[in-house]
Amino acid sequence: MTMTLEFSRSEALTMGIELELMILSTHDWDLMRGAGDLLALMAKSPHPGDIKPEITESMIEISTAVHRDYREMLVELSAMRDAVIGGAQRLNLAIAGGGAHPFQHWSEQRIFPKERFFHLHEMYGYLAKQFTVFGQHIHIGVHSGDDAIYLAHMMSRYIPHFIALSASSPFSQGMDTDFDSSRLNNINAFPLSGTMPFVRDWDEFNGYFDTMRTLQVVETMKDFYWDIRPKPEFGTIEIRVCDTPLTVEKAAVLGAYAQALARHLMLDRPREPSQDVYRVYSFNRFTACRYGMQAGFIDAYARGRRLLKEDIAETLDALVPHALALGSGAALAEIGASLDSGQNDSGWLRETFKQAKSLSDVVRLQSRLWAGEQRSRPDR
Amino acid sequence: MDEVSFLPTFPLFAANMMLVGAVLLCGLAAGHVFARYLRLPRITGFVAAGLVLGPGMLNLLDRSTLAELSIFVDFSLGLILFELGRRLDLRWLTRDGRLLASGVAESLLSFLFVYWTLRFFDVAPMYAATAAAIAVATSPAVLLMIVHDQRAKGPLTERMLTLTGLNNVIAFLVITLLFGFVHLEYKANWVRALLHPLYLIAGSAALGYLAFVVARWLARWFGKREDIQFIMLLGLIVATVGLAISYKFSVLLALLAFGVFAKNLDRNHDLMAVEFGPGGQLFLVVLFVITGAGLQLPELAVAGGLGLAFVFARLAGKLAGLAIFAPLSGLTQRKSALLGVGMVPMSAIAVVMVQGASQLYPEFGAKLSSIVLSAVVILELVGPLATQWALRLAGEIDPTAQERP
Repeated sequence: MTMTLEFSRSEALTMGIELELMILSTHDWDLMRGAGDLLALMAKSPHPGDIKPEITESMIEISTAVHRDYREMLVELSAMRDAVIGGAQRLNLAIAGGGAHPFQHWSEQRIFPKERFFHLHEMYGYLAKQFTVFGQHIHIGVHSGDDAIYLAHMMSRYIPHFIALSASSPFSQGMDTDFDSSRLNNINAFPLSGTMPFVRDWDEFNGYFDTMRTLQVVETMKDFYWDIRPKPEFGTIEIRVCDTPLTVEKAAVLGAYAQALARHLMLDRPREPSQDVYRVYSFNRFTACRYGMQAGFIDAYARGRRLLKEDIAETLDALVPHALALGSGAALAEIGASLDSGQNDSGWLRETFKQAKSLSDVVRLQSRLWAGEQRSRPDR
Repeated sequence: MDEVSFLPTFPLFAANMMLVGAVLLCGLAAGHVFARYLRLPRITGFVAAGLVLGPGMLNLLDRSTLAELSIFVDFSLGLILFELGRRLDLRWLTRDGRLLASGVAESLLSFLFVYWTLRFFDVAPMYAATAAAIAVATSPAVLLMIVHDQRAKGPLTERMLTLTGLNNVIAFLVITLLFGFVHLEYKANWVRALLHPLYLIAGSAALGYLAFVVARWLARWFGKREDIQFIMLLGLIVATVGLAISYKFSVLLALLAFGVFAKNLDRNHDLMAVEFGPGGQLFLVVLFVITGAGLQLPELAVAGGLGLAFVFARLAGKLAGLAIFAPLSGLTQRKSALLGVGMVPMSAIAVVMVQGASQLYPEFGAKLSSIVLSAVVILELVGPLATQWALRLAGEIDPTAQERP
């Protein structure tokens, strides 16, 4: 029996954001298994957006409604952040952004009691607990499945941009990993991670999905852990490489960047999808994870090497009219500013560690930054 | 025979050093047997070892030996109270009035229920009130030991430790104030009745504050090195215990105050959250064995009925106090009940405080002991089980903790 995935049509270039957040103990700033209590408490009072459990009990995921406007997105994200912090404070818990907790031990994490999560744990063993990392997913609305396939292929070239701009997981298991985003290394271990195959349109994608399902490799689209994947039930493509930033402001900025980039790619149609992008993909992705804003970049179309920063700067130039049309000029200016300073959230975390000299202090300051009580640049 | 004078003479002189080692090893062995073969909390094994070795049964640890080991008890209690104080987050309590209210309610109701029960058994008001104040405090030693041993982690654990900190503070203050009445009861003049509690509370708090100031200053100087801060804190705890003893302050209040100041006044976070870990465990094992040695089973036979009534009145007070405020503080009734059951272990520390009064008025101490000791026996043996059981049912104990390589 073949099963065709229906692609729901959604308003093009709308966006939605999901953020996975850390639940922390205010005693030692380690991760705390508080998701159950926090969700139960939050369920009792009305709050914007949607709040869900994630694979282990120290994680929580918030997701926004669908937005056209970046500022409205930021307003909703801020309101959700405040609601979650309010609930957490009643339980003496703290919340923070960041792609990985700096010193938690994966073995101490507990699977959130839900059928799907138990299934994942059974299937993946310790990988499931090591999946206690925190990402931002950005959804961009498209008209059709064919548009989704085109946009996903075109977006792939820009994945290193999102990695470097969002990177916030330099520390893992108590050590500096030398990576700006160590989180993506955890995802590489899963057999169905990587990229979507080079299919031309939605029909061809359906053929691929059907084969994988018949061969019992997957059951649903959820089983693919790709960096970008079409989400037929929402009518979106989902970019999944970003670390959760340290602030909601940064999260909204990344959403705006993806939205403007999608508008440029869909309207200007600057290039055609190319297999070459996937030939250099893993290497570009690794370099961005490792070196962040200081990374190099191989341009598959221009067949040359350059600095990732230069590529982002050039992209920002191309996005000017689109940001104007979408009303997200301010967000793109923020990205320009971080290119000038060469700083991303990983830089902030390392700088903070240099001053505080203890990772538990870093987490404490990280949680104050998330709550909006801390300046976003550490004192020099 | 001077040629062999280097040989030991018999009977062998039981050096203190060897004694501490033996106590430690016996305790560990019994704990292991309890945990592995009986599936009971390790602590219950430590206490049982003390009970068997103590004056009540084998008398290997006789009363004079126990007295010699009292320095260990003081230090262990100091360590525990410092740790407990560091768990008492005043900002949480002031921010969430509901938590503070539930803590006050469970303390008040366990005091009242026990007081009325003892009055029903015709215990004189003075003794009933002091015994009821002892009933307020949950044992931080048992809680911290189980939390550590079972790697318990979660919101209920945090809440239990915070409420325990609160009920210990309340119990200490009430007992200290009751000292004034004890003085009056024994016909001391009112100046003494007023000054003694004041001296204890103000002096201990001031000493705790001083220790905190020194700790903060040293921590800034040493920097954020966990190993160095660990030794520094141990050193300060020993020194504070010693000073409290020489100035006749309350060791317990002073160390609790030290911990509370360290948690709540350290605005720049100079002090690190140090885990006392295996080093701290060592003292806890000795403490529990000695506590066990102090228990006497015959007490149970004499005053078992009164002891049981005491235990149930206390539990009812804790459960009722927590249940009233549970819905307001975002707890289900089930979790609130587990919280109450988890707080069943009674603090032997309160008993130590009363001994302070006994030194002044031996008759008072003797009478009071006969009232509370049977309850202490029951709770020392059952309490750890209750806590472990509650934390397990709350899902905050890692089931694989014991099977780790």
